[in-house]
Amino acid sequence: MIKRIGVLVVLLAVAVAAVSPLPVQAARKLRVVATIPDLKSLAEAVGGDLIEVEGLTRGIQNFHEAEVKPSMMLKLRRADALIENGLELDAWADVAVLGANNPNIVRGAAGRIEISRGIQLLEVPSTRVDRSMGDVHPLGNPHFSLDPGLAPAITQNIVDGLGRLAPENRAAFQRNRDAFLVQLDKEMERWTKLMEPVKGRKVVVFHPVYIYFLTRFGLVQAGALEDRPGIPPSPQHLVNLMRQMKDDGVKVILVEPWNDVKLANRVAEEVGGKALVMASAVGAVKGADNYIAAIDYNVTTLVNALR
Amino acid sequence: MRSLGIVVGALLVAVTAAPAAAQDAAAMRREIEQLRQQLQGLTERLQRLETQPVPQMATPPPAQPGPLAQSPANPQTQMSPPSATELLRPRQPFGLYQQRGSGQLLFDMGIAGDFVGSFTQHNVQKANGGTFTGRENRFFPREVELSLFGQIDPFARGEMRIETGEEAPGGEMNVTLAEATITLLTLPYGTQAKLGQMRNRFGWSNAIHEHDLPWIDRPDVYRVFLGEEGLKEKGVEGTWVPDFLPFYAQVLGGVFNGDNETAFGRGLLTHPLATGRVVTFFDLTDTQAVQVGASVANGETAERLRSTLLGFDLKYKFRPEGWLHPLLTLGSEGIYSIRRTERGVDLDGDGSPDLFQKQTRNSFGWYGWGELQPWRRWAFGVRYDSTQYPDAPGYQWAVEPYVTFYPSEFLRFRLGYKHTDRSHPFDVAGNGGSARLVDELLFQATFILGAHPAHAF
Repeated sequence: MIKRIGVLVVLLAVAVAAVSPLPVQAARKLRVVATIPDLKSLAEAVGGDLIEVEGLTRGIQNFHEAEVKPSMMLKLRRADALIENGLELDAWADVAVLGANNPNIVRGAAGRIEISRGIQLLEVPSTRVDRSMGDVHPLGNPHFSLDPGLAPAITQNIVDGLGRLAPENRAAFQRNRDAFLVQLDKEMERWTKLMEPVKGRKVVVFHPVYIYFLTRFGLVQAGALEDRPGIPPSPQHLVNLMRQMKDDGVKVILVEPWNDVKLANRVAEEVGGKALVMASAVGAVKGADNYIAAIDYNVTTLVNALR
Repeated sequence: MRSLGIVVGALLVAVTAAPAAAQDAAAMRREIEQLRQQLQGLTERLQRLETQPVPQMATPPPAQPGPLAQSPANPQTQMSPPSATELLRPRQPFGLYQQRGSGQLLFDMGIAGDFVGSFTQHNVQKANGGTFTGRENRFFPREVELSLFGQIDPFARGEMRIETGEEAPGGEMNVTLAEATITLLTLPYGTQAKLGQMRNRFGWSNAIHEHDLPWIDRPDVYRVFLGEEGLKEKGVEGTWVPDFLPFYAQVLGGVFNGDNETAFGRGLLTHPLATGRVVTFFDLTDTQAVQVGASVANGETAERLRSTLLGFDLKYKFRPEGWLHPLLTLGSEGIYSIRRTERGVDLDGDGSPDLFQKQTRNSFGWYGWGELQPWRRWAFGVRYDSTQYPDAPGYQWAVEPYVTFYPSEFLRFRLGYKHTDRSHPFDVAGNGGSARLVDELLFQATFILGAHPAHAF
């Protein structure tokens, strides 16, 4: 009888421990994992030396189709926080979290930071959508992190998320964010001046990755090589697109390093234009090693091509 | 004895109440401190902003995405001292679903349809000796599955799959419960528990549903040792992922009824099927990775005899830099079966057994597989199977080349040829047919409608 009661007490203690959140040690750095490199870079800017950040993917990958590897689960196993983009761009993170056995970062936990909160989204379908339209995102285009004008919102979400876990460092996170935004503001002023002469110009994209970036600087996305998102283009679609590009005088195609660059080059040659391999994320191309460098690369590349 | 009960009761109250009260107070203090710091930070920031020129990004172009500072969705930027009501309001995780719009489901739903067919020799059809036993030379829905999955609450995840499919030519198709599980996500020390009816994590491919397998048919070693559906049981699985190792490892233990009639079949928790698995993973380079696992399952057969399965699995992938799919995938799994059986001995030569002798029968089966995917939409592969029979003499081997075409992520067609060579004539129907040598043309069409969870490695 006593033995059974002992077992009961142990089980009860385990149950109590199970529903009790494990407090983060204030003394050590927060371990943060970001699903995509843009968020890793922004988290580093906000967290400074108060956090350690690891990424689950690299810039040259297509984040829609990232493969969930157990090495991701190992990073997540040790994490205090997971910063995710949301809007289904990194939906695979749920599978990685499931294999990580870490209650700090499951959905609804304080350590789960989704940075799409409060973002004014573009390309939100206003009509019924289904898969006949390709890999549509019913909640809106998820590639907003490439818009430097949204960095304040993204970094504020990161400050809020990290501040939940380490309230004692919240003021420091806020200071880091403010310092980063001051630096970004200076760059933004320069980028805006650079882009001013090409404002209103039309470009064609391969996959709709750049709509936030283009809108921010007043450029127009005139078409996409993909007939429908995520579906390889049909020859007929390409013929129509090339005709449209010639009619409208569109000479520039923006392509991601992971996409079919050869096809983009062929189409560009046909219309007498140029395909530009863009920094579709931090680390996607050489020199785009952090957030500001990636945006700078895109602005410079685009301006040089459109001049 | 009564006093002992009172002491234990008091202990339980103390164990639960004291830490809970202390935690509540501590949590409240932390939250108030956090809010105080937020307020202070915002006040300082406001003062700074008032004394500085307006930054350019504070006024983005109209009708464009703007900074969060302008968004009502961010409570931090519109901070006012919290009222007592706000302090008492449930916060994350309890406020989780407030972010969802009205009319939205709080879980995901998807349908997977898997249709297969075969052409084979007449004698194979007569003996019911083809890959799809009893459905040779037919095209049929093997598995049409409705999946519902999502968070039950902040602490658990639920999955339910119901399925139907043709089990006999022209027969009625019954809707059955394929899986229904609860996964407890917030257990301490890197542990997790899953309970319900599930495909067991024994080996690598057993946990994968038919429509997600990289081949048209489940490998022979699984179908011979565990039946056409593989190992699917009711019970509990617990996993532990250590955080101190430099590589990923998962340790799994499970207790199940043991309903699988091919390998076990006792079906009682008093004589359970116990399972175990250790799996690890290594990133060899940025483009290459390998996963290695070992599994065990130990239970009793319906004849109350011990049955043990030992398994190994290995998987390698090469995915060149920036590719959306692997170029090369290699894999292998094997099962070693140690089974106690009863053998009838005919002492007087009258043709019927007079004595039953118990003996241990060891048998082994495995497969090796390779797949090349040079283009996103096309994959070419071949699998070699070799399997002894766990409760009878003899063995079989097979080779199966196949080609897969993916029009999109959600639609797939597969065509394969399978040659099977058995050491003995094979006649499930018992009508004099023979399926020692089997040549089959196999085909498969699979679609996914709606949500479908990603698969790991």
